[in-house]
Amino acid sequence: MLTFRTGQLEKSPPKRLDTASIDRSLVPPCQAACPLHMSIREYIDLVAQGRIMEALQVIRDDNPFPSVCAFICNHACEDKCRRSQVDDPVSIRALKRFAVEFGGDRMVQLTAETTKKESIGVVGSGPAGLACAYYLRKLGYPVTVFEAQPEVGGMLRIGIPQYRLPPAVLDTEVRRLSSLGVEFKTNCRVNSLGNLFEQGFKAIFVTIGAQQSRRLGVPGDDLQGVVDAITFLREVNLGLKPVIGEKVVVVGGGNVAMDAARTALRLGARTVNLVCLESRPEMPAFKADIHEAVDEGVILNCSWGVKQLCGDKTVNEIQLKRCSAVFDAQKRFNPVYDESITTALPVDTVITAIGQSPQIPEDFHLRIGRGSTIQIDPVTLNTNQTGVFAGGDAVTGPSTVVQALATGRLAAIRIDDFIQRKYPRPAEEEIKSLIGELSAQTIEYIKKIHRHEPPVRDPQARIKEFQPVENVYNWEEAINEARRCLRCGAGAEVTFQDKCATCLTCLRDCPYKVPVLDSRGTLQISADQCQACGICTAQCPAKAISLRKPYFRRTIEDELEHIGRTKNANNLKPLIIGFCCQYGLFGTGILSALWRSTKAGIAFVPALCVASVEADHLLRAFEIGAEGVFIAGCGDECARQNTTFWVNDQIKRVQKVLKEVGLENNRLQFYAPQNKTENPADWLDGFANQIGSLYLNSLIKEETRRDSR
Amino acid sequence: MAKSLFEEKMLANKFLVTTEIGPPKGTDIHEVVHHIETLKNKVDAINITDNQSSVMRFPSLGGCLLVKEKGGEPIFQMTCRDRNRLALQADLLFAYSRGVNNVLCLTGDSVDVGDHKEARPVFDADSIQLLRLARTLESGKDAAGNDLKGSPSFCLGSSVHPEADFIEPQLIKFDKKVAAGAQFFQTQGIFEAASLRRFMQYALRFNVKILAGIIVLTSARMAKYMNDNVPGITMPKAVIDELSGAEKGKALQKGIEIAVRLIKTIREEKMCHGVHIMAVGNERIVPDILTAAGLNNQ
Amino acid sequence: MIVAEQKPLPEIRQMIAPYKRILILGCGTCMTVCDAGGEREVTFMDNALRLMQARDNKDFHEYSEFTVKRQCDPEFMDILLEKVKDFDAVLSMGCGIGVQTVAEKLDIPVLPGLNTSFMGASQEQGVWDERCSACGDCRLDDTAGICPVTRCTKGILNGPCAGVKNEKCEANKEINCAWVLIYKRLEKTGQLDKIRREYPMRNFRAIPRPRRLTKTSAGGISHG
Repeated sequence: MLTFRTGQLEKSPPKRLDTASIDRSLVPPCQAACPLHMSIREYIDLVAQGRIMEALQVIRDDNPFPSVCAFICNHACEDKCRRSQVDDPVSIRALKRFAVEFGGDRMVQLTAETTKKESIGVVGSGPAGLACAYYLRKLGYPVTVFEAQPEVGGMLRIGIPQYRLPPAVLDTEVRRLSSLGVEFKTNCRVNSLGNLFEQGFKAIFVTIGAQQSRRLGVPGDDLQGVVDAITFLREVNLGLKPVIGEKVVVVGGGNVAMDAARTALRLGARTVNLVCLESRPEMPAFKADIHEAVDEGVILNCSWGVKQLCGDKTVNEIQLKRCSAVFDAQKRFNPVYDESITTALPVDTVITAIGQSPQIPEDFHLRIGRGSTIQIDPVTLNTNQTGVFAGGDAVTGPSTVVQALATGRLAAIRIDDFIQRKYPRPAEEEIKSLIGELSAQTIEYIKKIHRHEPPVRDPQARIKEFQPVENVYNWEEAINEARRCLRCGAGAEVTFQDKCATCLTCLRDCPYKVPVLDSRGTLQISADQCQACGICTAQCPAKAISLRKPYFRRTIEDELEHIGRTKNANNLKPLIIGFCCQYGLFGTGILSALWRSTKAGIAFVPALCVASVEADHLLRAFEIGAEGVFIAGCGDECARQNTTFWVNDQIKRVQKVLKEVGLENNRLQFYAPQNKTENPADWLDGFANQIGSLYLNSLIKEETRRDSR
Repeated sequence: MAKSLFEEKMLANKFLVTTEIGPPKGTDIHEVVHHIETLKNKVDAINITDNQSSVMRFPSLGGCLLVKEKGGEPIFQMTCRDRNRLALQADLLFAYSRGVNNVLCLTGDSVDVGDHKEARPVFDADSIQLLRLARTLESGKDAAGNDLKGSPSFCLGSSVHPEADFIEPQLIKFDKKVAAGAQFFQTQGIFEAASLRRFMQYALRFNVKILAGIIVLTSARMAKYMNDNVPGITMPKAVIDELSGAEKGKALQKGIEIAVRLIKTIREEKMCHGVHIMAVGNERIVPDILTAAGLNNQ
Repeated sequence: MIVAEQKPLPEIRQMIAPYKRILILGCGTCMTVCDAGGEREVTFMDNALRLMQARDNKDFHEYSEFTVKRQCDPEFMDILLEKVKDFDAVLSMGCGIGVQTVAEKLDIPVLPGLNTSFMGASQEQGVWDERCSACGDCRLDDTAGICPVTRCTKGILNGPCAGVKNEKCEANKEINCAWVLIYKRLEKTGQLDKIRREYPMRNFRAIPRPRRLTKTSAGGISHG
């Protein structure tokens, strides 16, 4: 895999060069697992902070069609999420959907300048083709996409049912591509690549998918009432309203079979039976899809093979035989049947979904390999013809949307290499996660917070129409779910080993017991285990530890300077400064009520974790003129351990100084809401009143002192 | 020949009775002199405390000289808290020269419990080393091995704590004190006859005199205070209860009653070789106790 | 390790009063470990002094922060020679030894920001206990590895005094009687004969002050 990221083309280099602001984080497993290598940890963190627009920006940096992925991504990231070692994986896809919907992805406008004269043709408008067109436009090439169907989108349009991906989402992406300058030619089947070159295209990306359904190959498979799933779904999606009977049987155990079965329900089938060779755990369809299908009433008939279809002209019965094994010892597909066990189902319509393969026109003159797929150089995506590149299902056989997007992006880069006569360098290194497993000990110390699944609509209601099954998170759900992220690989690091006095403060303070002494007595903070809470960075007496990736919007120092600069302009007295958990504050948790009830004269400083607020920061707040300072944590909602203890520790230290300076102790307070019924606004009012009267008293004292002089 | 009148009585196997007087904080010695005169003929010897509880006072040695002046038999309480080995030896030589020959060798309370908490604690020696120091002087040499022109001769004692809650190391220390030259022991305050009995079963293996320390309590409040604040003292609950049960204004009488009862038990059962009555700041009641305990026939 | 604590701010303020430009100098070794004068505490002191100044509106000091690896080695001070030209005084966050080493090297006043407490061991985060008095005559073999000179408030060498109650010291009820600990440990290791010995008075001659420790022949010659 290439390390190319469009984001790197667009982002300016970091301005500050001190270590604290340099990203030294390791690639987390979710990012490594994603074919697009999206910056998942980063956008999840932004969601957790309620910074949805920024989250969307990060998502768009890596993904041309985030809204599409938000609905239908198979989320390999979640499969690798280390949170599953603790309780359940973070619900990454649903959070992405939250980010694109609440962040306003619909409204995003894109433009691209044409800086290159070489036109590129893309044959096929599936996800790979669209992604390739998107990135080619970003690179400045004129792009034309050819689509045989009347509408753009390939399988996204004709293969995926609308209840999984609303057509409006796809329409938006297509419109956006048009505004980027991509030219679409629909109802335009390309029969010869040579023609395209003659028309002036300098390179062609062939991505025509795998849409040829495999036949059952049993007696009766040509009866009326037998239809293949791809045709069936295409007709439904294009609004052709295919007629089905009351009793439907879908043959196949994959995602297409699920789509067909659930679509049949929505078209009004009274019973939908699904027949597949695999046992239920072996079924290749996504678990969640199977689950939803069953909820909706699809009846699973696992470990059955089709013996024959019966009927006079029109099918009326499907006869089945027991499948005793699907795979042989070498794990190859090689089903074994027990012919003695049979059964039969009455049926009006049979939908076959037992796999698809590409169908490559002979006139393309492309070399075809196993499973009718196009043979390519896996590094350059080049076919046997110069200037012709290929990718997507046509090359790999049926795969996932996100894989297709990644291939499309790679194709754009490879085509650019070709046009610009650049040597197509293989990727220097694969993007691999360097993070190991969580240790049993770390897991023990991590607070268990189970995954909150996005809400789904009632099965009985949803099978009546093609509206999306899954609802989007609300703010509170999304933020709480996003806060479950362990921020793998972004944790603390002894940045300056020479400064480290091996005082063991971090080792003793870490709520997860991560820092250890190695066999030579050097302190090590395992990147595998660190939870990036930042407590050790605030406690290290040598200031030798910093986070591998700082997650501050602004550093606390910057934020305080900003308040200091603006307070005079605002002339608000008395000034109160609150340090608050940046996750609770801007979200919808308890703490956010503080934010909402903020009044003039109260300034907030968001902090990664309130336990990482340093005593220096509190002193600085008073120095720049705060009459009162408070720290607000999330109380019970805190996703971390023991934060209250550390905050109180810092507060005690600073209160001692306040006393020496002649300021009252209660000018510095810690607030952690105990339960949901508590209104933080009441507390803030009380605190503001206390500070108000302290401030008044000090003014009076000042007056008297002046008078007595 | 006995080194002192007190030693003479020890050798005569008499039931020994001693008491203690705390010197004044200041130069007014009228009260001390009064107590000395009242008690000098009623007891076998009078201890003069040495900045007791680390509270600065008129010196112990000065008090001993007063006792001597008034014709009494003093026991010079000497702690290591305030003097280094030079001062300790010098004071021992001086004491002997003035006929103060009975020395009770103590380590001394910590300065933290006293009224000059910021003082530098000396503790150049501990009680055992002090005993050894005195015996060394008797041999005609000082601690550095230099010859003395004229050497002293002492009747040496020390303290022991039979009611310590962790007794084993205390017993070892007792052994070491005997080995270092202690001839008699005035115990820390005893409140239960049983603990004294247990201790004596062990102590009788040595040829030393044990005087049971009797603290006269004057109120329940004082008992509680001592329990909480005086080093080493653990007051049995029964004693506190008995005191609090006393009628109003009769607490002192009750305290005397308790002390007398204990003294009588000790004497009747011949548990040890004598008693040492500590009336902490209430020296005037000692004659009453002696009378009540039938010890007035000195 | 040497353990110290920060002086109260008012005291520091009195010390620095005559000087305008002040370098707060941290120490990266013991003082870092004991949370008294490492880089973080230097920043803390800087902030605290600036806050004090801001609240009063009358001081005029300018503060700067710097931390060296170790204040007690003169070579580290060479780094400072150039730097201190811009300053009127140094507020050393080193232990007493550090302050003196810095002072010997520099021509401007060097002020102590800490009170040096003792040589101690860390019990848990933020808790240190004194363990050694540097008496120069170690006899921990006789006392089961528990130092009576340091841990007995009276430094008794011959067993517990009578002030022990509930196995705690008469001077401080929070502190275990060292001799009870020694007894128990000797008992556990079958060495009770060691406590039965009579130990003579300590030889204070072993520590004529100030002491010097010379480990190389070169050092021995040069200090003759």
